[in-house]
Parts: sequence; structure tokens; C-alpha cells
Amino acid sequence: MVLSFARRLAAVGPILLVVSLLLFVALRLLPVDPAAMSMPPTATKVEIEAARSAMGLDRPLVEQYAIWLGQTLHGDFGTSIHMRRPVGGLLLETLPATIELSVAAMIVAGLLGIGGGLALFALRNRRGEAVAELTTTLMMSIPEFLWALLFIFLFGVLLSALPFTGRLDPGMTRPVVSGFLLLDALLVGRPDIYASALRHLLLPAAALGIAFAPPVMRVLRTSLVDVYQEDYIRQARLRGVGEARILLAHALKNAILPTLTLMGVQFGFLFGGSLLVEVIYAYPGMGNLMVDAVRNADLPIIQAVALTYCVVVLAITSAVDALVLLLNPRLRA
Amino acid sequence: MSVLRAEGLIVPARIGPLTVPALRDLNLALAPGKVLGLVGESGAGKSMVGRAIAQMLPPGFTVSGRGLHFAGQDLLTMPATERRALLGRQIAFIPQEPLSALNPVRTIGSQFGEHLRRVGVADWRAAAVAALQSVHLPDPAGLLDRYPHQLSGGMCQRVLIAMAFASKPALVVADEPTTALDVTIQARIIRVMRELQQLHDTAVLFITHDLRLAAEVCDEIAVLYAGGVVEHGPAEVVLNEPLHPYTKCLLLSAPEIHGPRRGLYTLPEQMPGLRALADIPGCRFAPRCPLARESCRNAPALLVLKDAHRVACPYPGEVPGISAGPALAAPEGQAGAVLVEARDLGKTFRTGTPFRRRAVAAVQGVNFTLHEGEFLGVVGESGSGKSTLARLLMGLERPTSGEIRLAGRDVSRWDGAARRTRLQTAQMVFQDPQSALNPRRRVASIVTQALEAAGLPAATREAKAAEILADLGMPAELGSRFPNQLSGGQRQRVNIGRALCLVPKLLVADEIVSGLDVSVQAQLLALLARLRAEHRFALLLISHDLAVVRYLCERVMVMQRGVVVEQGRTEDVFANPQHPYTKELLAAVPKG
Amino acid sequence: MIPRWARDGRVLVGLVLLSAVLVVALLAPWLAGMAPDDQDLLATLLPASWQDGGDAAHWLGTDSLGRDVFARLLYGARVALTVAAIAAPGAMVAGTVAALLAGYLGGWFDWLVGRAVDVWMSFPPVILSLILMVGLGTGTRNVIFAIMLVDWTRFCRVLRAEVLVVARRDYVTAAGLVGFGHVRILLREVFPAIVPLLITLLTLEMGIAVVVEAILSFVGLGVKADEVAWGQMIADGRSTIYQAPFNLLAPVVAIFLTVAGFNLLGDGLRRSLDVRLLEGRG
Repeated sequence: MVLSFARRLAAVGPILLVVSLLLFVALRLLPVDPAAMSMPPTATKVEIEAARSAMGLDRPLVEQYAIWLGQTLHGDFGTSIHMRRPVGGLLLETLPATIELSVAAMIVAGLLGIGGGLALFALRNRRGEAVAELTTTLMMSIPEFLWALLFIFLFGVLLSALPFTGRLDPGMTRPVVSGFLLLDALLVGRPDIYASALRHLLLPAAALGIAFAPPVMRVLRTSLVDVYQEDYIRQARLRGVGEARILLAHALKNAILPTLTLMGVQFGFLFGGSLLVEVIYAYPGMGNLMVDAVRNADLPIIQAVALTYCVVVLAITSAVDALVLLLNPRLRA
Repeated sequence: MSVLRAEGLIVPARIGPLTVPALRDLNLALAPGKVLGLVGESGAGKSMVGRAIAQMLPPGFTVSGRGLHFAGQDLLTMPATERRALLGRQIAFIPQEPLSALNPVRTIGSQFGEHLRRVGVADWRAAAVAALQSVHLPDPAGLLDRYPHQLSGGMCQRVLIAMAFASKPALVVADEPTTALDVTIQARIIRVMRELQQLHDTAVLFITHDLRLAAEVCDEIAVLYAGGVVEHGPAEVVLNEPLHPYTKCLLLSAPEIHGPRRGLYTLPEQMPGLRALADIPGCRFAPRCPLARESCRNAPALLVLKDAHRVACPYPGEVPGISAGPALAAPEGQAGAVLVEARDLGKTFRTGTPFRRRAVAAVQGVNFTLHEGEFLGVVGESGSGKSTLARLLMGLERPTSGEIRLAGRDVSRWDGAARRTRLQTAQMVFQDPQSALNPRRRVASIVTQALEAAGLPAATREAKAAEILADLGMPAELGSRFPNQLSGGQRQRVNIGRALCLVPKLLVADEIVSGLDVSVQAQLLALLARLRAEHRFALLLISHDLAVVRYLCERVMVMQRGVVVEQGRTEDVFANPQHPYTKELLAAVPKG
Repeated sequence: MIPRWARDGRVLVGLVLLSAVLVVALLAPWLAGMAPDDQDLLATLLPASWQDGGDAAHWLGTDSLGRDVFARLLYGARVALTVAAIAAPGAMVAGTVAALLAGYLGGWFDWLVGRAVDVWMSFPPVILSLILMVGLGTGTRNVIFAIMLVDWTRFCRVLRAEVLVVARRDYVTAAGLVGFGHVRILLREVFPAIVPLLITLLTLEMGIAVVVEAILSFVGLGVKADEVAWGQMIADGRSTIYQAPFNLLAPVVAIFLTVAGFNLLGDGLRRSLDVRLLEGRG
């Protein structure tokens, strides 16, 4: 089993290599000159040329890629053209925020997805089924950025119940220990900061989570329906096993497997979707860093942030793979 | 007192606006320690009895009647919780598909433990080991930590039997417990069940489609047809002196492995489906019965004849007169030229991961010849390599050693010439028509697919389709149907028809009658015999059923683990087997 | 006889919604009554016509530059539907060809396609389309191109699995044995089996294309600045949510109704064509 997981993990390396290559090539298509942008407008042609060669932009593409890759592997992501700060530092500031938001959203999506799936399954062949199914279809028609806007409108503007910009109330300073705000607030013993951070997290996490829950609901429902057709469920009933035990100890253990596989894919999408939610809630994470960098054509940031998104997505997928492997004896060699 | 007593049991099924009894007026009594066989073809309603006991019926089905008594209590009126308390404790079930009846993500131990704890065994581990020992499973303690997919079907069925008997129930319902298993495994499973049944003096309801197997296992047999018992009596009596025409026809339509060769009785049509039952007012067997007359339009009562032998036919005296006709005549004269020649044929599959490569020899060192017009049977159990042999012949697998010559040409290599040779000489009939017939093609288009490949115009194809359908004994209007609108037997005919479209010299048929009811099987065997006389093709018939091979083929080849262990004239091999495996196979076939 | 799919309630509701959006998009110049970029700097941020201070000429009010929200909404539908109608079939063709060949031929081509899908799957779709838009530059045509480049894998993943199932059926083998060549087997035996799934996926993908276009325009990387798109309207309306909520709500509702139309249609087709689909949206 360790072996089969190791084999999957070994495939991640080449994937990342191809991802980085694609990123590099795609961004070199950009019709802007990073060298020119890094110089003051008064710079002469000669000065710009000098900057170009200093940045390595006059070398062949392959060489540029090799240099960039080498530096990236050593943790050197270059310097932001626009902000003139090391990209590595910017990532360290923003990645924890994005992870905090995404994990909170995953919890929402997981709870809502599994709870909703069970509810849909409980409703099968009953009167409420059609309404419930229609509701999930309509929910699937609302992407994460529309949920984000709707929640702002409902809970922020109309009800004024929850804040919808940033991570903290104005006036509070962020304690920096790990970068994970909820954790840091506890570490420095500031329940007021903890409460404020939690209130700020609530709307974006709910918006992001609810957008990715409906597919999970559907898969769990369908898988449960399938599993209940299986001989082993009938045989367990014939042994007199009670319905509650059949659901928990027999059906769910099987139906959760396809659900988990889908959740891996969904959580990867969710992590990417955090970008829009961050933009809408002015949440200082990687998404906002990325969008600002895109507007300023800040290549080093775009490359590094995009690569970071891919690494996290691959980490999520690998973790889910490992979990499925752990729960499904048939996949173990 | 009887363990189980059904009085006027009725299982009505609602189909649209109609309500049709899937079981009607069933009266049975099962004494402690006795084995009662419920025998019938698919759709006879035999499984409904088991389902009625557990009250787990398909949607639209209900149970009613005067009573279904278990140990004095009526299962029909009992509250659901009380009935569920009986399940697994007093009433246990042995399923049809052992591999899928155990939860794949839980260990054997966890499932056994769950059951034993529910039944109230304190030290479940010791009890589970003892139970697994009682079904002769090796290393019972180690088995508890294994998962179902790590066991064979036979082992899973032993686990399930051990589980069923673990609570020492008064009644065990075994629904086709060996149908999914190989014949030698079947013999062992039956032996284990018998042992436990006698040890605990358990009453067993044994549901099967195989009359001979039932006669071997059971004390009494009830034969069901279209939802009603047509004959009920002591096992040997029902088998040897059947008094209902259906029982007699059923016996005569199944080929036998022993005794003199004889023909097969071919019952026309098939058992009426639930929907059709509503339109048959009298004896439900009458439309197919050789003894039927006008008076059979009134439903016959279950008559009591001598001792406990009951039969639902007013003319039992005429039943012994039904006969099957003569055996298939062996083709005259010397066989034709050599059509297929395999020399030292071998196929090794490479499986596993790049880290742990495994080579599995599916077929090794096979030598045989097949002459024009000759029928050769290949028998063996699952994993014997007989299907791989067929695929090698058809060029669906590439041999890893040896050579195949087809009509004099070497077709071992995969090239255009080999493909053309095969196209001109050989065709294959696949086992499962569900998979072998494109559900999006109409029947006429399926049987003339070879002409479509050759680029013939639609009009020609249509004419040929009508011809082929007539050849298959199917009405021409079925040509415009889709496969899922046909019955199982009709689908298998279409399957055969497609292969015969260009009249090949060689037909390779992989298990084409397995999984079909005996009466449908008899029709197909008769069809093959007739087509042989008309078209003179050679047949390589792959089958696990020795009796079918004995009936149809002149020569037989016995395979075990990829090797041909014995081959020769069918009569010689079956009458005087040389190899121990052939002997074991023959001995395992139920004689009744 | 009316086919089963045409009698499904969801299919009908979906078709009605989509036809409405289509008609509105086609008739935008006549329905709007004014150009979407007509600025009236004297009448900015007007509320809807039925609210206090509303102007009957601007049914849904005006935005911060005094442009008519209703007119912009109608013209936005044109961009959304154009993107959906071209990008989704484009992604479908690319993904289907790859899936058919990979699933049927197997071997190294299947390996290659499989790895390509792996690489694509490691990019969150939002990030990948952003990067592509950075490289390609803004504009409707590039939005379409980016969606095709990102979403061919959605088709490929699902269809490849289906092709694998179909290709293992005995009738595919049997077709080869009676003399069908590979091309004919693919077209006559394998492809028809995946058509129901294909149609369902296409419908759902059109909804996804509408969303992606809105996202890209929202971030400012979608259509060009002089074109009108719903995403753009949302970005503009966000800052004036207290003064003129319809600037934000109107495009939000438009996106929802359009996507719901595609999803209802897809869902209805999935049920009535009996397609199994265990797939998420992202």
C-alpha cells in the first residue's frame, strides 16, 4: 500500500515540471517587456537593454527557463517588478491567509456536501425529492463569485450582520506568528482578535464552501443508491442487521469512496476559486496578490503564485488519493 | 410439527394497472431436519418464497395468504421488528453470488464478528474460528483479517455458509447457492452444507433451477411453474417417475452425462412472463404442454396421488409416454480436411506493476486439430484457459509461442493476410448477448453486419436479414426490434445469426448456452444441430457443462490451468476418463 | 411521438429560459432603446424606474457613468451567449477526439492524453484561464480560446472512461471480427454510445463557459474595455452597492438565469437520456 502511494507521489514530480514549463512558455507570450516596466519612464534605451541582460531576458528561452527553474527550486522566486520586494516574502505573507480561507471553505463544503447527500438519499422516492433535486440544480447554477456577492448583499448590506472586507476589524493589528490568523490570535492570547477574524472569515468561507458542495451531495446520493442495490446490503438485512447499522457500517463505508475521490477534485477547484472570493472580500491572500500582479504584468509574482496554486492542488489530490487508498482495501496491492 | 408451513401463500405483483400473482396458492410444509427443494426455471417464482419469508420483496410485490408459519408464529402478521429478530438467529440465508454478498471494504472477521455479536456470542473470535473450521476452510484465524476480494468464490460461499449456521438456526434458505461456482467447487459446497445441516438437524429450503442437483441434495422436491407448484413429492420419485408433463419435459430437455445417449425434448416458446400470466385462465403450462386438451383451460387442482406425491395434472398416466426422440446422429463418413491446427500454442499474460512483474501462463503447449464439419468441445472450469484459447484462434490475442494454422495458412502473426484468412473462414459467438449485441442497432442490422462491412447495398442486406432470421427460426418482424426488446433465447439466436451471416467454415462459440434456462438451452442446441446439417460448419464449443458437450460434440478436449490434460472422442473420454481431473469433473456432475 | 427528453419538465424550463435569453440577445438593439455605452453624466447612479428618484427612460437605472443598466444587460447577453455557443462545442470537439482515440487505441497515446489531463487538472481552472488571458490579451475571441484550452479536459476525462467501458464490450470486438475497420468501429459502434453523455456534457459546459466569461470580465481580463459583459457590470456595480443595487443585482440575476437554463436542460437530458454523470463543476 505504501508502495502504490509512493508510485502515485512519484508521478507528481514530472507533472510539476511540465506545469512549470507550460507556465513559463505561456507567460513569455506576453507582449510586455518586464525590463522596460522595471525602469523609471525616463530610462534610455541603453539602460533598458542593460536591465534586460541583467534580468537574463536576452538569453535563449530554454536557458531562461533553466535559470528560473533552478532559482525556484532553491526557494528564490525572484523580485517583484512592481512592488520591488522578494516574491518569496510576499508568498509567505499571503499563502497562509488563502489556506485558512480554503480550509474553512472545505469544512463548509464537506459538511454541507455530506449532510446534503444524506438528506437527498433519505428523501429518495418521497414527495420532497423533486424539490430537493431542483434546489441542488439551482445551487449548482450559482458559481462561487455570485455566492460571494449574494452573501455580501444579504448579510453585509441588508442585514448588516457580518463584515465583508479584510481579515480583521479596522484598528486591530495582526499578530504575526505563523500567518494563520485564527491560530496566531490564540497563540498571543487575544480572544477579541480571534472573534473578529472568525467573523471576517465567515462570509467568504461560506460563499466558497457552498459553491462546491452540491456536486458532493449528488455523488454521495448516487453512490448510496448504487450501494443499496448491492448483494451485501441485502445479505446484511437477511442477517437481521438493523437499518441504522446498515447505513453506517455497511453502505456509507462503500459510498464514501467515490465521494472522496470527487471531493479531491472539488477541493482543488475550490482552492482556485478562493481567488475570486478573496478579490470580492478584499481578503489579503494569494488571490489578490495574483490579480494585482496580473494587472501590473508583474511576471515573477504571476509565475510564483500560479506554481504555488498548482503545488497546493497536487498536495490536496495526493492527500485524497492516500485517504481513498487507506479506506479501499481493493486498491491496495 | 413443521418448521415452516405455507398455507395458500400468494405474492401479488402490480404491473401497471394489472395485479398478477407471482406466486399463487402455495402450500408447503418443511419438517425439522429435512431439505426441501424448490425447482423451476427463471420466472417460476421460486426465489419469491425466500423473499416472502424475509418479507423483502421487490417494489410492487406484496405477500398475503392464509399463513406463513415459522415455528408456530405467522410471519405474515408478525410485527416487523419481531421478524427481523428472527433473521440471522432462527432463519438464515445463503446467497446466490458469494463474491458480492460480502461487504468489500470490511474484513471477514469484522463481518463475522458483527453477526456473532448480534446473535449474542460472547467470545466471537473463537466462535468464528470454530465456524470457519466447520466448513473446512484452511487457516481460519488468518482468514478473519482478509478481505472478500482476496478469497475465491468458493471460499466466500463457505464463509457465508459458516455464518448462516453459526447461530444454529432452525431454518436455512439457500437460494441457488452454487450457481455462480464451478462444478467441482459446487460438489464441495454441497457436501459442506449437507454436513452442517445433518450436524445441527437444520431444515433447509434449497432453491435451484437444477432438478438433478435438487434430487441429490433434497428429501423432497416441489417443482414450480409460472408461480405455482405443479408437482411435489419425495426427491427420487419426482426425478425417476415424474407425473407432471412439465417435470418430465424439463428432465428430457437437459442433456445427461451418464446413461445412453438420447435426444433432447424441445419445449416450444418459453415460460410466460408475469404480464402474460393474466391472459392464461386455466393450467398455465397448457400452451406448451404436449398433453394439453380443451379441458385444460380450467385451472387444475393439486391432486393427491399415492403417498405424498402430489401433481397438478389430471392426466399423470400419460406422462411416462412423453419421449425425447433419438440422439443426434454422428455425421456420416470420414471427417473432412484439416481446418484448424494448433501446435504447441501458448499465451502468457504479463500483469502487475513495473516493480512486481508477474507472468501468468493462460494457455501452454496446446496441440490439436479440428477437421472441416467437426464439432469439438473444450471443457474446463474457470481459469482453465479455454476462453483464451478461443481468443487466440480468432486473433483477439497474439500467441506468445507456437503456431495456429487456419485453412492451411499460418495465422499466428498479426498481419493483413491473417486477418483476411480469418474473415473468410472463422467467426465467433460471444457468451453474453447483453454485451455482444450493440443496443443501438436493430436486429436486422446486427445479423447483416458482415455485409455492411463488405459494403453491400441496403436492399441486399435487408433480404439477407430476412433469410437469416428465418434460418434462426425467428419471425421476420423481429428484424426491426432492438436487442433489449428480445428474450434471452432470442438474443442468443441473433448472436449466432451474426456469426453465420457469411457462412464461415469455423464457428467458435464461448459458453453460448450457459446462464440460459434448460428449455431455452434445448431450443438453441436443436438450432445448432439443424444449422450444422444445413451449412456444414465446424464448431469449437467452449463450455463448462460437460453434458452439453457430450450431447453436441464428437470430440472433446479437457483443459486445466492452461493445459490440455485429455482429449479424444467424446464417448471414449466420458465413458473411460484417463486423467484424474477428468474423473473429478465427471464425478462432480450431479446425478440425481 | 415526442421523445422522452422533450417531455421532461426540466428540459422544457431550461429551453424556455435559454430561448428568452437568446431572443433578448438577438433583439438587444431594438429592445434597449439606447446604446449600452451612451453616457449621461448628469444622470449617474439613478435607481430603478419604480423607485424614488427613478427615471422612466432608465428602467433599471444607470451606472456611475450614467450608462443605462438595462441596455448593458441586454448587450451583455450577446457576449455571454457567443462565448457559450463557440467555446463549449470547441472544447467538446477537442476533448472528444482525444477521449475516443485514447480510450479506443490505448497504449502510448492513452498514456500521453492521461498525463496531459493530469497536468491540466493540477491547475485550478480559474488560475489557468487567468494565465492564458494574461498571455493572450483581452478580447472575446481570446476568452473563447482560453475556455477551449482549459475545458477540453472536462470532456476528455469523463468520455475516456465511458469509451473504455464501451470499447470493452463484445459487440465492438464482434464488429472487428465481421470486418469493420478501426475508423468504422469508432464511428459506428463506439461513438453512438457516448452521444447522450456528450450532449449532456455540452449543455453543462455552456453554462460553465458563461460563468468563466463573467469571471474573466469581472477581473478585467475578459472582453475588451469597449465591449459590454456581465462580469464587467458586476465589477463596476460592486462599489456602488449602497446607492444603486441594481447595477450589481441585475447582472447577477442574468448570469444565474442563464446558467440555470443550461443546468436545468443538462440535468433533464441526463435523466431522460439515462446518462450516469458523477462530475463536479469548478
